[in-house]
Amino acid sequence: MFLRQREPLIFDRSVPGKRGMDLPKLDVPAAKDTRPAHLRRSGFDAMPELSEVEIIRHFTRLSKWNYGVDDGMYPLGSCTMKHNPRLNEKVAGMPGFTDSHPMAPDALVQGNLEMLYTLQEWLKEITGLPGVTLQPSAGAAGELTGVMLIRAYHLSKGAKRRVILIPDSGHGTNPATAAMAGYEVVELPSLPDGTIAFDDVTDPVNGKVRKGLRTLVSELGSEIAGAMITNPNTVGVFEYRFKEISDLLHSVDALVYMDGANMNALVGVARPGDFGVDVMHLNLHKTMSTPHGGGGPGAGPVCCGANLMPFLPVPVVVRDTVKVGEGEVPRHSYRMDWDRPQSIGKVHTFYGNFGILVRALTYCLSHGSDGLKEATLRAIVNANYIRTRLKGAYALHIDSPSLHEVVFSDTNQAKHDVHTLDIAKRLIDYGYHPPTIYFPLIVPGALMIEPTESEGKDELDAFCDTMLQIAKEAEENPDVLHQAPTLAPLRRMDETTAARKPVLRWTRA
Amino acid sequence: MRYLPSSPLEDRALLDTIGVPNAEALLAGIPEPLRLKRELDLPTQGSEQEVAWQMMDLANKNTRFCAQFLGAGAYDHFVPSAIDAMISRQEWFTAYTPYQPEISQGTLQHIFEYQTLICDLTGLEVTNASLYDGGTACVEAALMAVRVAKKRNTVLVSRGLHPMYRDVLRTNFAPHDDLKLVEVDLKDGVTDLADLQAKLNSDVAAVMVGYPNFLGAVEDLTALAGPVHAVGALLVSVTQEAFAFGWFEAPGKAGADMACGEAMSLGNKPNYGGPFLGFLAVKDAHKREIPGRVVGQTKDLNGETGYVLTLTAREQHIRRDKATSNICSNQGLVALRANIFMQLAGPEGLRGLAEQNAAKAQYLRQRLLELPDMEPVLDQPFFNEFVLRYRGDYAALQEACLKESLLPGLDLGRFYPEYAGCILWCATELHTRQMIESLVEILARVPAAV
Repeated sequence: MFLRQREPLIFDRSVPGKRGMDLPKLDVPAAKDTRPAHLRRSGFDAMPELSEVEIIRHFTRLSKWNYGVDDGMYPLGSCTMKHNPRLNEKVAGMPGFTDSHPMAPDALVQGNLEMLYTLQEWLKEITGLPGVTLQPSAGAAGELTGVMLIRAYHLSKGAKRRVILIPDSGHGTNPATAAMAGYEVVELPSLPDGTIAFDDVTDPVNGKVRKGLRTLVSELGSEIAGAMITNPNTVGVFEYRFKEISDLLHSVDALVYMDGANMNALVGVARPGDFGVDVMHLNLHKTMSTPHGGGGPGAGPVCCGANLMPFLPVPVVVRDTVKVGEGEVPRHSYRMDWDRPQSIGKVHTFYGNFGILVRALTYCLSHGSDGLKEATLRAIVNANYIRTRLKGAYALHIDSPSLHEVVFSDTNQAKHDVHTLDIAKRLIDYGYHPPTIYFPLIVPGALMIEPTESEGKDELDAFCDTMLQIAKEAEENPDVLHQAPTLAPLRRMDETTAARKPVLRWTRA
Repeated sequence: MRYLPSSPLEDRALLDTIGVPNAEALLAGIPEPLRLKRELDLPTQGSEQEVAWQMMDLANKNTRFCAQFLGAGAYDHFVPSAIDAMISRQEWFTAYTPYQPEISQGTLQHIFEYQTLICDLTGLEVTNASLYDGGTACVEAALMAVRVAKKRNTVLVSRGLHPMYRDVLRTNFAPHDDLKLVEVDLKDGVTDLADLQAKLNSDVAAVMVGYPNFLGAVEDLTALAGPVHAVGALLVSVTQEAFAFGWFEAPGKAGADMACGEAMSLGNKPNYGGPFLGFLAVKDAHKREIPGRVVGQTKDLNGETGYVLTLTAREQHIRRDKATSNICSNQGLVALRANIFMQLAGPEGLRGLAEQNAAKAQYLRQRLLELPDMEPVLDQPFFNEFVLRYRGDYAALQEACLKESLLPGLDLGRFYPEYAGCILWCATELHTRQMIESLVEILARVPAAV
């Protein structure tokens, strides 16, 4: 899988005079130079000079130092690395979509608008929430949009609230988002099973008392703008008292934000709109299989209840029914509605990561209501199969029933001085991408495994056999794990020096 | 379902191992009353052929054009074939954020090269793995400037900035009662120096100007830097058309302290506005305040050179509510397209493409001005966009163009009341002389305004 051949930086291969692009002949007079002398481009220091063949080889060789979803199981918990259907890529590349201009009048982009509207309809039915914006570019952008909707809601009632509650098991983006939206974060303690504590919790180590949800709600009351809750939570457990939590928050008119990073465990099975969620985001690059692209682009649509709809970002895609004669099938036209006086404004320059949204709708149409539900159930079965096969060898820190992912702890292996990082790196030697490690923070040495629905029994068994083999190695030959990986293109990296003496770009020697 | 590798026999074996009668039994953790008691009210699954046709039908409902004379933040440029070929390799497009450096060196080295080239384009020293788009890049730049310039609470924004970037800025500043976003007027199509001077004071953290701005006019960064730096504020250049970096001096060399904006022009189609490519480049002294993923060079245990995500102490997964931003997923694959594009173009390609864009725009402007209803508005150096006043009726002009499959420039009145009746035109290397002549010919036949 990995090419054991070193590929230097492109800058070290540059030779003056080579070119990878030929320009068309200029068929108009050359440009007159009207620039002030000090604003004329002076030159480039790093732009390389190579032919197309060399550049293609460069990126092909570099690609062979990457691990992709088609290489094998990629069990990154919470990241949902499922199969990326090729049809989705083909559709997103259709020139009718790719050539369309975001400033073109609505009448000329009816296909785009219908596409966006249709996706909105799917997301509404899937979440049980009537309002949707497709603008946010990623999950974190969706969170920020959602929290700004909550802020607008309170402002419309003349209240400026200052606090957002976030469980200690939540993603780091939640508190970062709340801060970006101008809120103070108050942490909610979680119980050993990762669910939110209603009552105060006493820390067994230092004896400190942490206030539970009930205390916080009664003490902070109308200071609370809302709570951001991941459900299923980051240990894969459904927040089984969700309805009580939302009722309690609603009793002081605080709103419930659901982080939908794990929505792939609920599609077709339960709808956030049915259990008290006011607003949530979806990660289409997780739930709807749009590719991760080595770090993006994603898409983080926000769905909300009727109470928040007036504040949705502009523009909103709407459908009008064109008047037709009696007995005729009604026809529709679509437009961007910019006239929304209570809107929070724009959250993306245009309408979001459109090409990603095209892929997501393609995924939805391919799966249909039946396929979406089947995918959810299959993902849950797969995660529970791994849980069952590995729970003897690896410590299951949390015993509650889990859905689409399972979180182990390294406590069994730690007795042999083998830790989560060693286990993860050893998996690389066996040809797997490691799971998410050291998250959530509430599980010591967490190994968060999410197989997704894309794995069949053979693959699951091979992965479990490998994990069991590693557990055996940890007892018998821990040094093999400390040395791992030895079969990857590189050994473990010196991240400390990278941060202390940062080299963040190439410079000419 | 073709994407699910399940067979009834294997499913049985999985369920037996787990010890449950069926998959639904595993939903026990979800309280019964909270479960959906029906099937989703949506169409059932579609074959590849059916879905492909359905989506193609949507794509075909969009009007296609022979030529688009519209830019305004989304530019139609040629995309070399090598880009799509490369990014369709699964190793690039299916991989996750490079958390495990030993098996992500491809992505990490690419980002290191990309960072180098963005720094080269902008004449600055540090950048990140990308931001979402031009508008959100402005937000990150403004918030970063406030962090860097401690105890200053005001960001001045030129009205020449893309109106939608300003919208996104307003949305994101609204929650911060302690911060002020103040607009600076335009004069002759560029930032009004007198109004800027009047608004500059020791509370100002940053001044953001378009380079070139939405009207296509270039701001003189060097002239602006004087007064901005005199009050201790940072000058932030905002570029919505990255091809302009081949024509105008790198902002970092012309006086800007930070450069941000939109780089979709480097290897992407307009795509109805996304996925695009936000960028932000800053000085080395400010590197620990930059938002988002940053890649650095280091060594492995054997002393081999390699790359890792670094300076993570700024980020949300470590710092939580004290992070420099909440961003994690960015525009990774679009940054890869830009990296490949810049490597293919090289210094000569970037300069040559810029010269062609300038030449086409100048020719288009000259030919349009030969029409009796068009007249010049601004007298500023421009790159590939410019404003003309049209004495006729825009709707009639638009209709005439659409009939001939040409998309005309933007009716500016929608965004700038003072430029009502003006059109923002754009030409790139894609516009042949023939297309320009066709446009002029069509416009010559538009009936005169009543």
